[in-house]
Amino acid sequence: MLSGKFRSALVIGGQGIRARKLRTFLSMVSLFLGVLAVVAVQAGSEIAERAMLTDVELQSGKDGTIMGYVPGEKGAPGIVESTLKGRTDAVAMISSRAIIGEPGVRPINEGGMPFEYANRGGDYSGPMVYCDANGTCTEQKKEERKPDGQAIEVSMVALTGDIRPFKPFRSVSGTWLDFGTAPSLAPRIVLNEEAAKGLKQYRVPGEMMIDGATHHVSPQIIGVVQDGSSQPRVYMRLDELRTWMPAAAATTEVDRFRGGGTQLELYLQPGTDDLQQLIKAKLTGAGLEQNQMHFQTVNSKERMESQLKIMRLIFLGMAFLVLLIGVAGILNVGLATVGERVEEFALRRAVGMSRLLLAGIVLAETLLTGLLTAALAIGAGVGGLQVALMMFGSRFPSLQGTAFPWEAGVAGVIAGLVAGVLGGLIPAIRAARIPIATVMRA
Amino acid sequence: MTQSFEQPTVQVQAPLLQLNGITKVLKGQGEPRTILSGVDFTVHPGQSVAILGRSGSGKSTLLSLIGLFDRADEGKYFLHGNDITKLPERRAAALRSAEFGFVFQRFFLLKHLTAAQNVAMALVNGQGWSARRKRKQQVMEALEQVGIAHLAKSKPTRLSGGEQQRVAIARALVRQPRIILADEPTGALDTETGNLVVEVLLNTTRQGCGLVLVTHDHDHARKMGRVMELRDGRFN
Ligand SMILES: Nc1ncnc2c1ncn2[C@@H]1O[C@H](COP(=O)(O)OP(=O)(O)O)[C@@H](O)[C@H]1O
Ligand SMILES: [Mg+2]
Repeated sequence: MLSGKFRSALVIGGQGIRARKLRTFLSMVSLFLGVLAVVAVQAGSEIAERAMLTDVELQSGKDGTIMGYVPGEKGAPGIVESTLKGRTDAVAMISSRAIIGEPGVRPINEGGMPFEYANRGGDYSGPMVYCDANGTCTEQKKEERKPDGQAIEVSMVALTGDIRPFKPFRSVSGTWLDFGTAPSLAPRIVLNEEAAKGLKQYRVPGEMMIDGATHHVSPQIIGVVQDGSSQPRVYMRLDELRTWMPAAAATTEVDRFRGGGTQLELYLQPGTDDLQQLIKAKLTGAGLEQNQMHFQTVNSKERMESQLKIMRLIFLGMAFLVLLIGVAGILNVGLATVGERVEEFALRRAVGMSRLLLAGIVLAETLLTGLLTAALAIGAGVGGLQVALMMFGSRFPSLQGTAFPWEAGVAGVIAGLVAGVLGGLIPAIRAARIPIATVMRA
Repeated sequence: MTQSFEQPTVQVQAPLLQLNGITKVLKGQGEPRTILSGVDFTVHPGQSVAILGRSGSGKSTLLSLIGLFDRADEGKYFLHGNDITKLPERRAAALRSAEFGFVFQRFFLLKHLTAAQNVAMALVNGQGWSARRKRKQQVMEALEQVGIAHLAKSKPTRLSGGEQQRVAIARALVRQPRIILADEPTGALDTETGNLVVEVLLNTTRQGCGLVLVTHDHDHARKMGRVMELRDGRFN
């Protein structure tokens, strides 16, 4: 049961808004922009954060994951492989170079760089000097330049198990590697998008040459994934790699100097300290130094959030300014309305309306306007996002399937409410203070 | 109840309203000015009173004190024998709604509302609530009482001055007040229309309603039960 006061307020508010349609509309326009600014900033930063977070997870792994970097020397790949065999709480990635295409030619993207930068100019590298731990430096002879050919260089990543619990690769086409079956003699590989692009663009023959392997193989491509890397990569099962490369090549000093050679990356779930200790002990036993092994916990989200926070604050500040202008607009209109309605308000009080109810009605009118405007602005935000996704969604794959964040809706409603209160409070107080006797005297 | 005490029966009916020694001082810029000084004023049910006086003699000021638009600086105010001199504003608003009906020289009708809606304004004021149909019935009765029920759906701009003032009177009557306060209600009307409006107002006293009419017109004043003249802030 609604009270008489509330019903009276509804009737009078409705009459007031109907009598001043244009004015209501105008005060809504200024506020609309303000609320829309808040909604856009909130939605934008929310979406940007989500998109960045998924990319960061792809690139550096899920938060909490313990990552280990170990040089692929002194039998480390084999030790790690045998230690992790059959485990699901830890996976190792062993990366090395591979060339897909014509044998014996210089690959299009020498060094495994993204194709965007491939074949831009010549060979700029000067003579290479390598210094060992004792400070003795020797000049390295440049490799003889091979003829250009139809081949691409990729980073070949061999996995001891499924990496996706640690890095949420998204399937683009085909399937992912199946670690549950017996190793196949025909090696199965999954490309990342960049590698797939290279293969498609340069029509290279399906032969693959891997560093350290003695003969060429014909890989069987089973799928393409999005892995957040801009460099071409291919993924495969380590045990399948072994069928034509019995032992991972030992990294030579020169390779290490050039940042090449075999790299070992370990991904461990939180709470696997024992396993970490075991691996370290085994590797130390094999002759690796402690300081060559680096283990660290991924906490990219935290780092990223503090960066985003600053950006968000700046934009929110700007949105707040726009909102303030909207509030000023609604306040201006509200005050003008009160000035115009002095007689009406005095009359209403003369026929028995209380000060409080009168102020309440004036406030409610702007509050309703504010909320209605907020609803419209949120609607515009949702619509705008749909349009933006339709237009740019294909260019930013991480934005695909983005829904309008509810936080932006809440922010919009709050902004509308705040604007309604701020813009309506002063007119409401003014209205309540109108002296009846002065207005009604004859 | 075995014993009963004899109460002295009040023979004289309690006055509708009684003001004793009312003083109003205007404190604006400069010297404070005494507008009313020690005014006594009484109205009984069904009684009609005319207040005469030159412009600026304080007639409107007195009416705004009676109607609880404003408060006196000194003096006492009794309504139905109850002291309401220091009534809080919230309750004063309730009394304005229930006890008083106001008519002004300017009609104070809302342009965006029809005649019926203007009358209904006095019912839609947060003081209680009656259903739409009941409200409509009350509004039509009030409009009939002033003889313009056929104009219920007209906007004020389509009405003549006399019709507009009758809408305003219907607005004052719709809650069936105990007293009507009219401040120069004929001031903006021609003689004939003014006479009609005064008749309409006088009719209301037949049902026991009190009427206070501020006017410059001696003919209108003579039709009232009592005539009083304000001079230098007091009656004489
Ligand atoms: N709000 C006000 N501001 C300035 N002067 C006022 C105000 N209200 C009343 N007065 C003064 O009080 C006196 C009485 O005014 P009023 O009651 O309106 O007289 P009347 O209705 O008899 O013409 C006048 O001199 C008027 O100038
Ligand atoms: Mg006057």
